[in-house]
Order: sequence, then structure tokens, then C-alpha cells
Amino acid sequence: MPTSVRRFVAGAAGLSAVALLAGCAKNAPQDTWQPKGPNAQKIDDLQKPVFAIAGIVGLIVFAAVAYAVFRFKDRGQPIPEQTHGKPVLEIGMTILPALLLAGIGVFTFRTIFDLAKTDDTEMVINVTGQQWWWEYDYPVQTDYGITNPIITSGQLVIPTGTKVLLRETSRDVIHSYWIPALNGKRDAVPGRVHYLRLEADKPGIYAGQCTEFCGLSHAVMRMEAVALDKADFAAWVKGQLELADSPAEGTLAKEGESVFLNQCVRCHQVNGLKKADGSPAIAAPEENVWSGAAPNLTHLMTRNTFAGASWDLLTKECRKDVWEAPGGEFGKKYLAGVTEECLNQTDLRRWLRNAPAMKPMYADPTKLGPTDGKYRGMPNLGLSEDDIDKLVAYLATLK
Amino acid sequence: MAIIEQPAPVGAPALPAAPTPTRTYGALRRPVATTGWKSWVFTVDHKKLGIMYGVVAMFFFIVGGIEALLIRLQLAAPNGKVLSADVYNQMFTMHATTMVFLFVMPMAAAFANYFIPLQIGARDVAFPRINAFGFWTLVGGGIIVNLSWFLGGAADGGWFMYAPNSGPVFSPSHGVDFWALGLQITGIASLTGAINLIVTVLNMRAPGMSLMKMPVFTWLQLVVQFLLLFAIPVITVALFLLSFQRNFGATFFDVSAGADPLLWQHLFWIFGHPEVYVLILPSFGIISEVLPVFSKKPLFGYPFVVFSGAAIGFVGWGVWAHHMFASGLGPVSVAVFSIATMAIAIPTGVKIVNWTMTLWGGKLRFTAAMHFAVGLIVLFTIGGLSGVTHSVAPSDTQQTDTYYIVAHFHYVLFGGAIFGLFAGFYYWWPKMFGKQLNERLGKANFWFMVIGMNLTFGPMHMIGLQGQPRRMYVWTEARAGEGFFNIAFWNMVASIGAFILAFGVLLFLINVFKTTRSKEVAPLDPWDARTLEWMTTSPPKEHNFDAIPTVHHLDEFFHRKYEQDPNTHEMKQVATAEDILREQEANADKHIHMPSPSYWPIVLAGGLPVIALGIIYSIPVAIVGAAIVVLALFGWSLEPSTAPDSDFDPPASGDGTKELAPLG
Amino acid sequence: MFTNGSKYFIGVTGFSAVVLVIYVVLVDGAVGGAVALASIMLAVGLLAGLALFNRDGDVEVGDAAAPANAVPVGSSLWPLVTTLGIVAMGVGLITHEIVFLLGLTALVAGFVEWVIQGWSESASSDRRFNNAARGRLIHPLEFPVIATVGAGVIVVSFSRIMLAISKTTGAVLFTIVGALVLAGGVFFAVRPNLKKSVAVGLCVIGAVGVVAGGIAGASVGKRDQLVEANEEDHFAHKECGEEKSKYFDFNSEAKVSMRSNPMATIEFVDGKLQARELGLKKLTDRITVQKSNNISVIFRNKTEGEYRLTLFYGEKEVQEGVVEELHNCTQMIESGEEQLLTFRIDRPSIASEKPYKFYVPGVEDQSIEVVVP
Repeated sequence: MPTSVRRFVAGAAGLSAVALLAGCAKNAPQDTWQPKGPNAQKIDDLQKPVFAIAGIVGLIVFAAVAYAVFRFKDRGQPIPEQTHGKPVLEIGMTILPALLLAGIGVFTFRTIFDLAKTDDTEMVINVTGQQWWWEYDYPVQTDYGITNPIITSGQLVIPTGTKVLLRETSRDVIHSYWIPALNGKRDAVPGRVHYLRLEADKPGIYAGQCTEFCGLSHAVMRMEAVALDKADFAAWVKGQLELADSPAEGTLAKEGESVFLNQCVRCHQVNGLKKADGSPAIAAPEENVWSGAAPNLTHLMTRNTFAGASWDLLTKECRKDVWEAPGGEFGKKYLAGVTEECLNQTDLRRWLRNAPAMKPMYADPTKLGPTDGKYRGMPNLGLSEDDIDKLVAYLATLK
Repeated sequence: MAIIEQPAPVGAPALPAAPTPTRTYGALRRPVATTGWKSWVFTVDHKKLGIMYGVVAMFFFIVGGIEALLIRLQLAAPNGKVLSADVYNQMFTMHATTMVFLFVMPMAAAFANYFIPLQIGARDVAFPRINAFGFWTLVGGGIIVNLSWFLGGAADGGWFMYAPNSGPVFSPSHGVDFWALGLQITGIASLTGAINLIVTVLNMRAPGMSLMKMPVFTWLQLVVQFLLLFAIPVITVALFLLSFQRNFGATFFDVSAGADPLLWQHLFWIFGHPEVYVLILPSFGIISEVLPVFSKKPLFGYPFVVFSGAAIGFVGWGVWAHHMFASGLGPVSVAVFSIATMAIAIPTGVKIVNWTMTLWGGKLRFTAAMHFAVGLIVLFTIGGLSGVTHSVAPSDTQQTDTYYIVAHFHYVLFGGAIFGLFAGFYYWWPKMFGKQLNERLGKANFWFMVIGMNLTFGPMHMIGLQGQPRRMYVWTEARAGEGFFNIAFWNMVASIGAFILAFGVLLFLINVFKTTRSKEVAPLDPWDARTLEWMTTSPPKEHNFDAIPTVHHLDEFFHRKYEQDPNTHEMKQVATAEDILREQEANADKHIHMPSPSYWPIVLAGGLPVIALGIIYSIPVAIVGAAIVVLALFGWSLEPSTAPDSDFDPPASGDGTKELAPLG
Repeated sequence: MFTNGSKYFIGVTGFSAVVLVIYVVLVDGAVGGAVALASIMLAVGLLAGLALFNRDGDVEVGDAAAPANAVPVGSSLWPLVTTLGIVAMGVGLITHEIVFLLGLTALVAGFVEWVIQGWSESASSDRRFNNAARGRLIHPLEFPVIATVGAGVIVVSFSRIMLAISKTTGAVLFTIVGALVLAGGVFFAVRPNLKKSVAVGLCVIGAVGVVAGGIAGASVGKRDQLVEANEEDHFAHKECGEEKSKYFDFNSEAKVSMRSNPMATIEFVDGKLQARELGLKKLTDRITVQKSNNISVIFRNKTEGEYRLTLFYGEKEVQEGVVEELHNCTQMIESGEEQLLTFRIDRPSIASEKPYKFYVPGVEDQSIEVVVP
């Protein structure tokens, strides 16, 4: 086989391999070709034909190059005539792709404006990025039983079949919110509010990842969108509106509460938590953290993940059980939250022992000059194993 | 160097050494040495500078390549432990910065410097000393950018350096300062180079060479120089804003002071998109030379290639926001930029058609250079088509910032720009060094690079479409999907491919080493070439041409060698390259006077990094740097372009010489 | 090796270095003087290096055939300039710093010029050659400096004119001047054979006009608005009570950031305050915003009269026992106008006894609650 042919075969094989093998990985959580909602579906409907057209054009070019390479190899033929081109062919080959692209352009145009619509919104959620986690807050919307603002982080919970509009912004640098199964990405830019439409067809967990480089721990800034059917969503809302109860006197959890009051409440709010004197304990992250916010932990155990949705609160088996639950049962399983036996103690303890060792953060107290002594991320609190036992017991009560 | 009173025929014995001048004035004579390190460091000869550009670029190619290998090592398996998050962020920032600003641009500049004057039949560039200054400035900038590795960590904000993440709060090390000031300095190099080459091309063409008889490589390089001329000032402004924000407390990108961080993105990409064409067009130019030579046919549709190059140059200014489709610009802007981006695919497509049609009906010889050229057509087509998929903005919101984009631009920049440069190495090596690179090794070099490159970047399409974002220092099993061919598998394939690719590049270096040591001399016209640069000796004499040729045709050299038989319409060889060279030597111009070497360019260029260091660490040091710059400017403006005769060994007789490059 | 010129400059550099050291040792903490002396040393050192590298500008010195003192010395301007500089420095010490600095500049310039002229006049016996040698060395310094100073004078003069006249006149004048410059350029371009003196004359007339205008403008002073706006800086004392500034620049806050998707639009319609949150159709009297985040809202006045929007966002203990209410507000705006208000609330709603709210001062029972989760 002449080299020329081999070259063509290599090229063509490479391309077809791209086309064929793309389908080979099953259920990658962030697969962009598996839409699970109408917005992502619109993108998919547009991009699949474009990929096909691009593939066909590619094959035509490769075939032409391969033919020329093979057919016109120097076998001692005379020097060809020194022609300088055929204007008709040239003009034709300019107009043809122009027409093709004009066709694609029309559909692109329509999709862009469809995806930018906001007048059919049924629910809004504020999404705020900061290094390196997402905060969600639900403005008061009595239609959904949200009589007081709800605040949570890591996992965004939405009702299925509802046109949700995210209002994205950021407290520090630019982040980008992306749940591939539900829609394309949109940057969260400090000082601006950007929209993103989100709608899920079926209950389930949809994985996502911050996609705008946002500094040190960009790789471990994740998020998940959890879709619940409307009844389950109402139950979730009801649960989120409740205040945290203080654990019973004499339990390990009660001791954990005082550790929390000593250490964690500087940044982390637990709604309903009271100081020893009975006044409400209010966190002051703005005094300790550059972004001025830290995750609200009131209902920590209703979430599956922690620390920027990067580590599981559930053990492996329990996680599998929830993530792979069929549509009908998913809601119930998710709402059950993290039970005692399902709690992934290993990662949680590791985190409490030394958070910056698990997720790189700017937490070295000697290097906080540029931020006026404020941390970016969570510092190592230097807790004793005893304190960690107590804290884990307390955190497990935050349902 | 410098004065050739009467060009001697090739191989003539050297003139006997004459006595040294009786008297010299001042501390130092002009550096007129023709051998030794001085002849390189103080040279203003465009060919020597071209070679030095090439060496420096090659050095940075290796540096950037090692950075890339470290990145692929880290990502070969989940939860990689090779690099820390901090070092990884520095690594990908510097990989991109090095490859773009310190390898592809200088390498394109190397070819431009060396071959533009030769292709247009000139004896040097218009401003030889500015040319030397540009080179040394680039070296200074490259050193400053990379110095940060040893002084507390390199820049860690990505080569796009988005605000506010690049601000003093979010990137507290000095890395970004080094980056911004280093690029500012390389920007000076690019800008002076652009002006120099534009003036050279417009003013110094051989008699008879109209613009439409100019070789395509020179044409596309001219477009590139215009792109640089208008793009570099934009990045200069952006970098100034960044430096002032970081070093002097300005608030251009500080949201709490009312700024909009998208300002940086617009500035960066208004520069950044034309920059993409700055990287790719020189390679387009190279293969537009290589393909016709090895097809024995003129370039198909020469005016279309030229005008589509110019069209890319224009439309390239109107598509910058396609890097920002996910930034929240609003639907109207997104739609407009989406359509404009599709439009730019058209002139690019025209080029691919023209190259294919150049092959069509030719007499194709598959040398290593031709391999790389055909490889470029195929690989660039893949990159171009994946580019079309994300000109569709909604589709881009799924693909941007994932590995799909990484795959796309590596097909464009590695498969396009770098393959073009390698085609250039193999094609022009005999011209530059008088020795031919080993063809067998060259073909092995090609195949390893092609396979390595497809194994590295091909899988990235899939990794990206399955949702792996870029710039992550680790990826996890949890998001890799199931099945054998999951993201984990393709990450491993990509890492293995990267080492195959690296081996391919290593073969090239071995080839260079072997060729340098070999004694075999290349024939005068090894490829049966078509353009003026082959009408002189290899390597060319200092003054390039003994007699400036008069041009009658596009592909003048070919038409001097071949003529069409009026009856049979067959091309017949009527002269050999040796015949043409002999004729030229016989009619050599008398009294060719070349510009003299100078100390000032390197002194001036040396002041700039001192200023940069001063801005970062201590303002008094910057004042010292500024003093060096002022001193050098002063000295430069006092210095005549040619050295006084008494500086030469032997002293030249100053009568009747004519200055060919009196400026600069 | 060392040329006569470079020897001279090296000597002067050494001398000024010694002076500098003595000065620093004797006069404690006088930075200005030390900097001035260091500048002189640097400048002369620069010239020393230069002369060395350029062999005194390629002038062949030390020509034995032509003794330096054989030439009669011509007239010189520089002693005068130097003297004036010294006098100005003395006057400046008593009066203004700027006079001192001008004097210092004149002194240094005069000194350098004097030295170079002195050197060039003894370079050879040929006056014309000596002049050329002087030009060779000093022109690359003189021309850029003179050009910079000239451009600076023009720019400053023009800015004085623009600051003195009213905004509208400024726009008209700018158009006219721009058109004149363009016309001049076209005129020169279409008449390539124009006499040099005519071109120079036209430029000089223009420059003199601008400088004269600048002097007039400077003596008139800035226009009233600028003076008052400067005194009544809204941002310096952002009080949400009575409006103090009449000349606040509305455009500076209202235009650019308004396009960046503010969180809510708050309208004051016929005495009623109502809000519309981004993305929601319904009007509301309660908006939710994130804590510790820069939030922008648009305020539109649709009621006759001048009103402002004020935000109350809690209390802060400024000293022990002294609690201050926190407010933020827009400017007073007329009916039909709009303004952007950017604010940041650091404490959640639960930290305050009184709810956070937007209200219009002077209008009772109309407010929009701001909830910070």
C-alpha cells in the first residue's frame, strides 16, 4: 500500500473512530449528547445535524486529497501544464459552503433566541458562585410554598417540568454554571446577573462542573441539579423552611453543638441555632472569608455531597442506591437524606481534620496579606479527634 | 560581515589579511567581526537573526513541550499526584503562553525574517538594526515570562488571564506580573518586526515584482504583519491595565469599584482572535510554497489564496466574541458573532480547496516536507470542521471550556501551524544551512508526529463531548462514565499519544544533530523549486544576490528553468539552477555596501527586562533600566548605519560605495 | 581609549557623585535635594557613557594640527540660562516649589548645553565642523525634549480652554478646531510644493493661538459647575438627606452599568413604590438579594417632583455604645429619569431587628422589603 493511501486510511479511520467511539462510554454523568430537558434537547437537535454535515464535508475533503495523492503520484509523467486555476470552480466552491452555512445559520439564530427567552419563566432561583462552591437561594415564591427564602449549596433542587430561571452572579471571580444534561453553560460574572433556563423532564440527579477557570481549586468546584416531581419538591421546600432543633441534653451531638458554636459558626450559619445565652447565633463569614459567604449548614444532611459537591456525604452503596433509583422512587430516596448508617464518615472526618489538604485553598494564615487576613476557602481548624467525633454527631442531626 | 566591495565567485580563495587600521577612536570599535560569537550577537543580518529566532523558538518549543508532557502525566489517571493544583495551574498557563508567544510566533518570525527578503529579491530588511532589536527584545520577554518559575511561581490564571482572577487578591504571587510585563516586551518585538517587514515588502521588492507576482508565503506573512500591527496595541492596552491594577493599585477590573470584568475579555479576544490567524497564516504560506514545488504546478487559484488570506485578515477582527458565547453577552451579540464566525469558515475553506486542486493533476513527489504539507491539509480540515460545530453558538455553550475545544485548537494549531512549520524546516533547511535533513528520518518524524498527534488530541474530542472541562488539575472516576471506552480510557490514550508525539519531535532534533555533523553538501536546487530564494547560493551570501534579479513571472525561478514548447505544449527544461547562478555572478553588482553590525539593539533590548524587574520589585531598578534604554536610544540615533572604514580589518576604502539599507 | 569628551563627562559625574555623598551626609533627610543631585549625576553619567561609546559622535578629536585654543570663541546663551536657573531656584525657595523646579531644570539644561558647547568649540579649528559635532551629540537630546515640552504646552493650554468654557461651547469649539486641523492637513497634502516658511508660519499661528487661549483660560479659571461639583462631591459625603450637589454627573453612574442586568427595577409611580424582580413578571413589595454581594437596582421616578430611593440596611456599632443606621441612596431625580443604585449588604436579615427596606424619603407607608437570606 503506498504511503499516500495509508495516510488517507489513517485520517479517515481517525475521523470515523471519533464518530463511532463517542457513543462507547456509557452514562458519563456530564455527557453533552444525552439531553434530559427541553433546553438541552434544543441544543442537541441543532448540533447533531451540524456534526453530521461537518463529518460529510470532512470525508469529501479526505477522499479528494486521498485520490489526488494516489492518482497523481510522480510515476514519471511529464511536467503538468502550468495552469493557474479555474475561476468558475473557485467561485463555485466559495458560494457552496456559504449557502450551506447560511442554512445552518438560520437554525442557529432561532435556537439562540429561543434559549434566551425569559418571559415564560415559572420559577426563579439565585445562583451565586464563589471560590470554590455554589450557593443557591430561592426568593419568596408562595406558589411553590416558599414563604421565606431558602438557602442551600452544592445541590440545586428543582421541580420537574417547570421552567426554572437561574439568576447567576458571583461574589469573587468569574465562574460558569453548567449542567450538561439540562442546558449549556453560562458564566457567573461578579457585578452582573446572567440568566440560564433550566428544566428537567424526569426526576434524577444531573451532574455539572464549574467550567470557567476560577483559580486554585477550579477542578473541585462541582454542582449537581436534583429534579424532584412537584409533590416531592413541595415536601423538600417544607423541610428546608424548618429551623434546626438543638440536640437533646447529654448527647454527644449536644457537645458537638458547643464545638460548632465555638468554631464553625464564625462562618457557617445554622438557622435556629442559639448561643448559650439563648440569643440566635449568627455567622459572620464576611469577617473571615474573602467572598463573604460560607455554606449554610442548616439542612446539611438533606444534601448528598459537601465541599463544593466534590465529596459524597453518602457511602458508596447508599450513593449508588439514590443515584440509580428509578424515576418513581428517586424522590423518596433523595428526601430521606443522609441517614446515620449511610453517612460517609471517612471523607467528612478527613475534611474536618484538615480541609485544605483535601481541597487546595488559600488558608495559610501567614499568606493572607492580599486579602486583609481573610481566607479564601476553609482553613485547617486544628480540631482534636474528640471534637471531630462530637462535630460529626452534631452535623448528622442537621436534617 | 558588512562590506563586500566586489563579490567573489563561490569557492574563491579568501583575500590575504591586511594590516589593522593604524588608529581607532573611542572605547570600542563597531562590532564588525564576521566570525565568532560577536558576529551573531551584534549582527543585523536578517539571515543570522532568522536562524537565531529559530533556535530560540525551538528552545521554547521544547520547554512548552515538557510542560505539556507534565500536564498529560498528571491527567493520565484519575486524581493525579504528579503536580499540585497550584503548579498544574501554572503549567497549563505557561504551556499556552510559551507555545503561542515564544514558539509559534517567533518561529513564524524566523521564516519571515529569513525568507521574505530572499523571496522578494532584497538584500536585507528595511530596518536591519530594528530587526536585531526585535529579536533581542523577544529573548528578553521570554526570559522575563519564564523567570517567574524561579521567583515564587509562574502565572496561574490561564493564558487568557481573565479578570478578576488575575488581580492581586486572587493571584497573589508575582507570576502574573512577570507574565504581563514579559508579554508586553515580546509585544514590542512583534510590533517592531511587523512594521519592519511591512516596509520591507512594500518598498524593497525586486524590479518587476508587482504585488500579484509576490510569492504566497510573503503575501500571507504580509497579512500577518498587518494583523500584528493592529492587534498588538490592543493587548498592550489590556496588559497595561492589568499591570496598573496589580502594581499600582488601579481598579480597572475591580467590581466593587464599579468595573465590569467583561472589559478584559473583550480586550483580550479582540487581540486574541486575530492572534489565531497570526499563528496559522504563516504556515498556510509555507505549504502554499511547498505544495506547488512538489506538485510541479503553480498554486491553484493564486489570487484566491491571496485574497482569501486578506479576507481572513479582515473578518478575523469581527469574530472575537465567539470566545465569549457563554459569558452572557445577550442573544443579539451572540447571534451576530455566531454568523460572522461561520462566515470566516468560507475563506478558510477556499484555501483547502485550492491546496487540494494544486495536487490535482500534478506530478507529486512525497518528500518529508510534502508529507507535512499534506498532513496539514487533512489535520487542519478536522480542526476547521470542529470549529464550525462551535460557531453554532448554542452548541458552543455545551462545548466551550471542555476538552472538545482543546482538541479543536490543537488540530488547528498543532495539525495546522506546527505541521506547516515542520514542512518549512524540511523544505528550507538546505537553503539555510547548505545541508539536507535526512529524508528517511524526516518521514519517520512525520509518521510519529501524525500518529502521536491524533492519539493525543483525537480522544480529547470524546473526552470533551462527554463533559470533561478544561483546566482541571484532577479528574475523578466518578464522572468518567462506565464501560471500557470511558473518559478514563481516553485520558490514558491521550497521555500515551503525547509521548509518541514527543518522540516524533525528538526524531527531528536527532535529524538536525545528524545533519549538522554530516559533511554532505546539499545540491543547489534540491527540490526543483520555483521562487527567488533558490536563485542564490545555499546558504545565501551575506548580500543575498550578486545581482538583483528582474522579475517577469510569478514563480520566476521556475520560468527561468523551464519553458513551454510552443508546439507540443510540454514543459522543457532550458536551464539549471547552476546556470542561472553563474549568470548572476557574471553580472554581479559592483560595490554592494551592507549595513554594519551594532551594539545598540541588544543594549536597548537589555534595558527593557530591567524595567520589568524594577516594576515588580523596586522602582529605582526600573529607573536604571529606563536609563539604559535612553542611553541606548541616544547611542543608536547617533550611530551611522554603516561603520567608518577604519573599523574594518582590512580598512575599507570608502569610495563609491552605495548604502542599500541606510535606515534603521 | 577615553576621548576628550568622555573624560570631561566622567570627571563631572565623579564630582557630582562626591557632592551627592557630601550632601546626603551633611543634610539629613532632604530627599528633594538628593534626588536632584542624583539626577544630575545620572544625566551627566549618561552623556559620559555616550561620548565613550560614540567616540564623541565620530568626531576625530585631539587633532594635533589644530590646537583647541586657536579658535576665537563665539557668543553663548548658556551662561545666561544657567544664571537665570540659579536665580529662579533662589526665588523658588522663598515662593513656590514649582519655580524652584523650573530653575533647577534650567540650571541642569544650561549646564549640559554649556559643557557640550564648550567641548565642541575646542574640538578642532573649523567652526562649521565644531557646530556639526555639537549637533551630532546634543540634537538627539534636544529635539525630543523640546518636542515633548512643546506638545505638553499645547495640551495644557487646550485643556485650560476647555475647562474654562461651558460644555456646549466646548463641543462647538472642539469641532471647529478639529475641522481646522483637518483642513490644514488636507491643505498641506494637496500642496506638496508649499514653501516651508508658509507651512511653518501656519503651524506657529495655530500654536500661538492655542497658547494664548490657554493663558486666557487659565486666568479665567474653571467654569462654575466644575468648581462647585468639586466642592460638593456627592460621593465624599453620601448623605441621603437634603441634596447638596447641583452638578452631580448623572451620566457617570447611570449609563454603562445599567446594561449589566440589574437585579430589580424599582419604580415610584404616582406616589406608590413598586418593584419588579429580574425574571419575574409580577410586581412585588419584597425582593431577595444575596448577602455580601454587589447588587444593582434601577430606580425610576414616575411621580411629579424630585425624589430619591434610599436603602436602609441595618445598624452598625461605630463606637462602643454608639449605633448608626446604615443607608445608601440614589441622587434626587426628576420625574421620568432613572438611576442605578449599587449596594452590598453584609449581614443577613435575621441579624437585624428592623427589616431592611427601600423607601422614598418624605413618602410615608411606601416601602419595598429587602430580604437577605
